Amino acid sequence: MKKTLLYFMLACCFFLKASAQSDLLGDLIKEDSSTVKHNIATATFKSTRIINLQSVEMTGKGNLQFMISHRFGYLWKTGKGLTNVAQLFGMNSGFANTYMSFDYSFTDWMNTGFAATGNAQFETWAKFKLLKQQSGKKNIPITISWFTLMHWDASEGPSPDDLAWNRLSFMHQILIARKFSENFSLQLMPSYIHYNYTPYGINNTNNIFSLGIGGRMKLSHKTAITFEYTRQLNGYKDLLDETASAVNYVPDVLSLGYDWDTGGHIFQFFISSASTASNITQLSTNLNQMKLGNFSLGFNLNRSYGIKKVVQTH
Amino acid sequence: MKKLILLAFFFILVTNLINAQTYKTRDANIYFNPNKDLSHKDYASQSKEGTAVLKVETSEVALLVPMKTFHFNNALLEEHFNENYLHTNKFPNATFKGKLTGFNKDQLTKDGVYNMSSEGQVTLHGVTKDFKAPVKMTVKGKAVTFDCSFKIKAEDYAIDIPGLVKPKLADFTPIDAAIVFQLN
Repeated sequence: MKKTLLYFMLACCFFLKASAQSDLLGDLIKEDSSTVKHNIATATFKSTRIINLQSVEMTGKGNLQFMISHRFGYLWKTGKGLTNVAQLFGMNSGFANTYMSFDYSFTDWMNTGFAATGNAQFETWAKFKLLKQQSGKKNIPITISWFTLMHWDASEGPSPDDLAWNRLSFMHQILIARKFSENFSLQLMPSYIHYNYTPYGINNTNNIFSLGIGGRMKLSHKTAITFEYTRQLNGYKDLLDETASAVNYVPDVLSLGYDWDTGGHIFQFFISSASTASNITQLSTNLNQMKLGNFSLGFNLNRSYGIKKVVQTH
Repeated sequence: MKKLILLAFFFILVTNLINAQTYKTRDANIYFNPNKDLSHKDYASQSKEGTAVLKVETSEVALLVPMKTFHFNNALLEEHFNENYLHTNKFPNATFKGKLTGFNKDQLTKDGVYNMSSEGQVTLHGVTKDFKAPVKMTVKGKAVTFDCSFKIKAEDYAIDIPGLVKPKLADFTPIDAAIVFQLN
């Protein structure tokens, strides 16, 4: 009886000892893979914009981003023939809308920016990340951001005593995106635009709604093709201005783009049926008819700088 | 009497087992700066979330660093690091396993600086390579710090650096690891 007990104890000890001698790294890997993680979807889009409109992406925390963007003249003006070629399909036509902006992210969920959008117009915005697509600890299928923009028209208005208040307009946009795979992402963008100034005339409104969809398909690690389509829902048909002439805006805007990440900059080349630079004018007062000649070439160029140091200096 | 001997024997075996001490830390610090000119920190990065274990009796060590815990000053570079160069969705961890030569457990009880070397295998970006580097162990009270500086070549681990960036980077990337264990 005693003998069996002895053998049993010995066996126990050797067994324990053997299990204590197992592979250290193997245990680490096992432990690491058994902990449930936050797998947050990153890089749903390459840039903070898809083409014209904002994407759910934001400049990284503590980073300052500078963006310059150009939108050139019509691709092909009817009746102008070879002049269009000499004008290099709009790029050499002497017409371009320039857009310049700086934006900075104080936290990883909030980004603020300031832009000059051409024609003495200015914009300032804030973007908030409300929901992050993730799996693991929590399962959230989509990313949601709220983009809010204030637009200030500083150009010489129709009447010089225009109240400053009347020169402001606002936009709210909800960006709902999903990264379906490493390569493919889609985004839905309902927007609401409010003009403080109600334009004189009939059928005019200060509240304009629009819906948009955008997407990205990666071609390689550094390149991708993008598209964007927006549709204005109200306030574009048979508007009468103060001279009683009818104005019709074009509710559809279509854009196709090509993203190229050079390592330091992100270039976005695109062709779009809107040639203005501000989101508010693109979504509410677009005048370009949707036919091939009326499209215009353009590009966005991004560069971001790490202002706040994350890495400790050695 | 026989029972007592038996119990003593059992006790010795169990204490021997407990004496097979392992120390563990979850905040191992890994820093690298691939710039040719080390005063430039643009591509420098750091992770403070490595897990390391040291088994005193056998001088075995292991280290696991989740690649996504490497952070950069510029968020865009961090994205490139993850998406384009280290493919961290596919290869989520960098690991090391090996042995310390010149280490014995008596050193842990005496304050001082001890030089030794570590030898083993590093796995990074799915590639496993033999590894050997000098290690400095500093014992101060209950804190034992291992400092290890070594250099690796990106090409050895199948990491493609684009031609545009290459001129700015050194051929060998210096990496500093600082691992602190608390003795209890």
